[in-house]
Amino acid sequence: MTAMPAALSSILAVDFGNVNTRAVLLELVDGTYTVVAQAEERTTAGFPNHDVSIGLGRIARQIGISTGRMMLSPDNRLIMPEQADRSGVDGFIATASIGRPLRTVLVGLVPEISVASALRAAAGTYIDILDTITLEDDRPVQERLNAIILARPDLIFMAGGTDDGARGPVLELARLVRTAVSLMRGHAPLVLYAGNSDLRDDLKQMIGGVADIFFTDNVRPTREIERLEAAQAELGSAYNRFAGQRGMGFDTVSRLTQLGVLPNAQSYHLVTEYLGRIGGPKSNVMVIDIGASASTISAWVSGHVSTSIRTDIGLGASARSTLDIVGLEAIDRWLPFITYEDEILSYAMNKTLRPGLVPDTLRAMYLEHGFLRAAIAGLVDAARPTWTPNSALDDLSQPLQHFDRIIGAGAGLCNTGRPGMSAMLLLDALQPRGVVRLQLDNAALIPALGALARLNPEAAVQLMDGGGFEDLGTAVSLTGTPRAGRAAAEVTIVTRGVTEKHKIEAGMLWLHEVSPGTQADVTIRTARGMSINGARKVKFTMAGGSAGLIVDTRGRPLSLAVDAKGFAAQLSNWYAQSTGDPVREVSIGWLEDMMAENIAGVQRETVTQPAKRRFGRGPKPPKASKIRGNSPAGIRDSSELPEVPVYDTAKPASGGRRGVKKLGKKDAAASDAPAPQTELSDDDLRNLLS
Amino acid sequence: MTLETYYPEQRQMLSTAIIRRARLLPEDAFDAEVEMAMGARVGVRDVVARGSTPAPFLVIDAAAHFGLRRHDQLPGLMTAGLGDYVERGQIIAQKRRRRLTAPVTGRIVQVENGTIILQQLSDAIDLEAGLNGSVIEVRSPRGVVIETMGALLQGVWGNNKRAIGVLRFEPEGGVENMDAESLDLEYRGAIVILRQSLTLPAIRAIAEQKLAGLVVPSIEVRLIDAALHAEGAILLTEGFGGMRMNPQISTFLELMAGRQGMIDARTPDADGRPELFINVPLANERPSAPLTSLSLQIGMQVRVVRADMPSGYGQVISIPGEPVMLENGLVCPCAHVEMVTGERVFVPLGNLEIAGR
Repeated sequence: MTAMPAALSSILAVDFGNVNTRAVLLELVDGTYTVVAQAEERTTAGFPNHDVSIGLGRIARQIGISTGRMMLSPDNRLIMPEQADRSGVDGFIATASIGRPLRTVLVGLVPEISVASALRAAAGTYIDILDTITLEDDRPVQERLNAIILARPDLIFMAGGTDDGARGPVLELARLVRTAVSLMRGHAPLVLYAGNSDLRDDLKQMIGGVADIFFTDNVRPTREIERLEAAQAELGSAYNRFAGQRGMGFDTVSRLTQLGVLPNAQSYHLVTEYLGRIGGPKSNVMVIDIGASASTISAWVSGHVSTSIRTDIGLGASARSTLDIVGLEAIDRWLPFITYEDEILSYAMNKTLRPGLVPDTLRAMYLEHGFLRAAIAGLVDAARPTWTPNSALDDLSQPLQHFDRIIGAGAGLCNTGRPGMSAMLLLDALQPRGVVRLQLDNAALIPALGALARLNPEAAVQLMDGGGFEDLGTAVSLTGTPRAGRAAAEVTIVTRGVTEKHKIEAGMLWLHEVSPGTQADVTIRTARGMSINGARKVKFTMAGGSAGLIVDTRGRPLSLAVDAKGFAAQLSNWYAQSTGDPVREVSIGWLEDMMAENIAGVQRETVTQPAKRRFGRGPKPPKASKIRGNSPAGIRDSSELPEVPVYDTAKPASGGRRGVKKLGKKDAAASDAPAPQTELSDDDLRNLLS
Repeated sequence: MTLETYYPEQRQMLSTAIIRRARLLPEDAFDAEVEMAMGARVGVRDVVARGSTPAPFLVIDAAAHFGLRRHDQLPGLMTAGLGDYVERGQIIAQKRRRRLTAPVTGRIVQVENGTIILQQLSDAIDLEAGLNGSVIEVRSPRGVVIETMGALLQGVWGNNKRAIGVLRFEPEGGVENMDAESLDLEYRGAIVILRQSLTLPAIRAIAEQKLAGLVVPSIEVRLIDAALHAEGAILLTEGFGGMRMNPQISTFLELMAGRQGMIDARTPDADGRPELFINVPLANERPSAPLTSLSLQIGMQVRVVRADMPSGYGQVISIPGEPVMLENGLVCPCAHVEMVTGERVFVPLGNLEIAGR
């Protein structure tokens, strides 16, 4: 690792993501750190380079081109420290969210108590829970032993027993861990204990001889109280220790930095805590980053910060696992067309293969944004229980807490190129209530700030206060059920002494320009039946932003039309309202059950069994469509069934209610039947009818 | 993003190149050992490294079996020692006439607290070369780096199998309609190229027609399990769904038809991609290794890929300095591309791939 000069006049901060590597160049200008350049490149951890330092060289060159500052020496090395001719930089900091997560086996007493808390603590770092062993685990000892050993974990995370509580059962589990660790040839995992603190000496004696064991505060000191911070910090340290060995050129990058390559989730935690503290204990802050392979959420709620990472939620490499977590319906509810499970699954699988793809058609954009909204909602649902440390009992059916500030990060949210659209995606997915300031971290400043805070806290504070994030604006979300065609709110805006009054219709996203750098005094009165966090009138001063003032009169909970045509109109209107573009009409063909019509019309004689589920606000599927056939087992079962034509030739009415559809395909269903005269793929059918 | 330094994704389609690939045992393999020396010539099926899978453990409650009151009595009853390999049925401990036999063949790894722990025999892992070439680096103990020369086509997904055979395009009636009763010898052991999405009958044809493998554009997601269990290697060139083969890839493969190919249909991960290596006659000069750093240039041939449509090829005609609004309203950095059809489109940089050089 390279030692840095005491006074850093320039710092290059680079964050290595799964798809993109982002960099910011910070300079000390008039005693204050300022972002002077930012750049983005594809990450080079995979084929053909397998070396992140190549991407670092490229991004440094980009920064050099945009600033006129020479960053690399003739032999392609980062010039450090900064030279008299202003080439190079004084400091370099690196963060990353890529690489294999920490393989972990969780051992605890009771699933609902210590194990639940341990899982929430584990959610704060890049961890993959391979198995969970509890007292209620009814597998024989031998199976539990094999579960631990064959998982080849990097870490065994033990929890269990309140302080002064259970001893015997914890020691029994510890004996199992000891045996397992002693049998792992050439692979000794770390053991972290966050259970009954009275047992530390016993555990040190029992396990210390066969593995490195370290201790942290009990995650569940009492049945009612949960304490995660200390365990989260230790898990973070364990990850750092492990991450040093991750390869992919990180050793080269690490040598350039004083701090090594830090996991960027720690930065989210630190920055959220800072923003929470400056806002005061009653000010709640959320930072949410939906990445390609991993996603992070940090929340400051009631004076407490909590960070959760999900290595299985993302829009690229993790798109398929995201679908498994959130379910098809969670994505389909945001699609303004009738679709089939195969289309959603194919989209997810293709994103897994090519995580950097940008949706360049309307249909692909709706699919992408469907995944994005569902991923955000899924991440929030998983993280919410950790936001209230003194209560392990959370009710997810309650509306989301009020947040004063929400910062979005990740390419899906930041790279729309349309501030209003990014704001709408956050509002749709989170459905906040009341007045909230929306921001984007589109320069990936948060990872840099977290790392910088360790070197120079003052610099990090200056950057956070200096407007390093893109201000989208202020959103005011009305609660209640909007009545179509009626006014929902009356808005008075005073900007630079000029007063404007507007009546806002119910059921829309209303955007009003308040340019960055300006301020506006806003007063909003709601119509009967609507409120702003319980109040009929609010008055506030807002800073301008790229989207400006957003008044969301769509109501809370957000009410989505149940019929296909209605929802298509609703969603395309919202996109138009958020961007100011003309409405991009959804093709009428998208609202019809094309596959059913085609199969009914073209291949009716050959279709014997259904194999696809249809989604969308269309007519209900035929009865036989409930038969599934998308697995080899399913295929075999289907082919054994007698061949009967199952489809009603009646044209399904468009604009019907949403429903799940699953239609027949020769492959999965009647593979032993004679070949049909024509077999059209999904794409053929779509092309034919579009 | 400064566009002049944008490095697009490479999905290589090269008619001649030096190809170097690492072949490594899984991280969790035990007793790993490299079988090939530096410079050794290897064939596609040659084993370059061996290891064993982690084997499960068996816990025997010997104290209960013998009715021992004290656990420290057990070592005195053992007839086989710690670390010994024992056969199934072999006596491992005895107290007078009462015997304890090994329930499986394995190794005694622990005798403690009245229990005997046996580790069952591991499964051997034989790591194959996957391509014909020479060993140019030994990464002991996990594997080697092999170098070969020939043509290369990288795919997007594979069913984790390997195959070697002559490249043939499917017959006019389709591979699924080949008559199983009268095997067509031309296709036996061949790698068959399909221009249409893979179907279940085509997957079945691999076994029925004794095909070595298939190169196909796409597969419906519900057939993934069937593809994973297929008897031959399957390599996708486009992705999941019902996409046809891209005409440029099809043309490339037409030029290669009749030559011997090797499919390494690995499922893609951080370490590699599924690939088709093809033996081609080489000129006297040694081909160069593919360039890994190719930045986007005007005039460059590019492949335009999408998550919901087949790919197409075109030529970059300009690279706008500012982000461009797409038809769906998104605004992002793009290249202006003239497709082979003559259509001119703005393509997000993230959707461009190049075939390499």
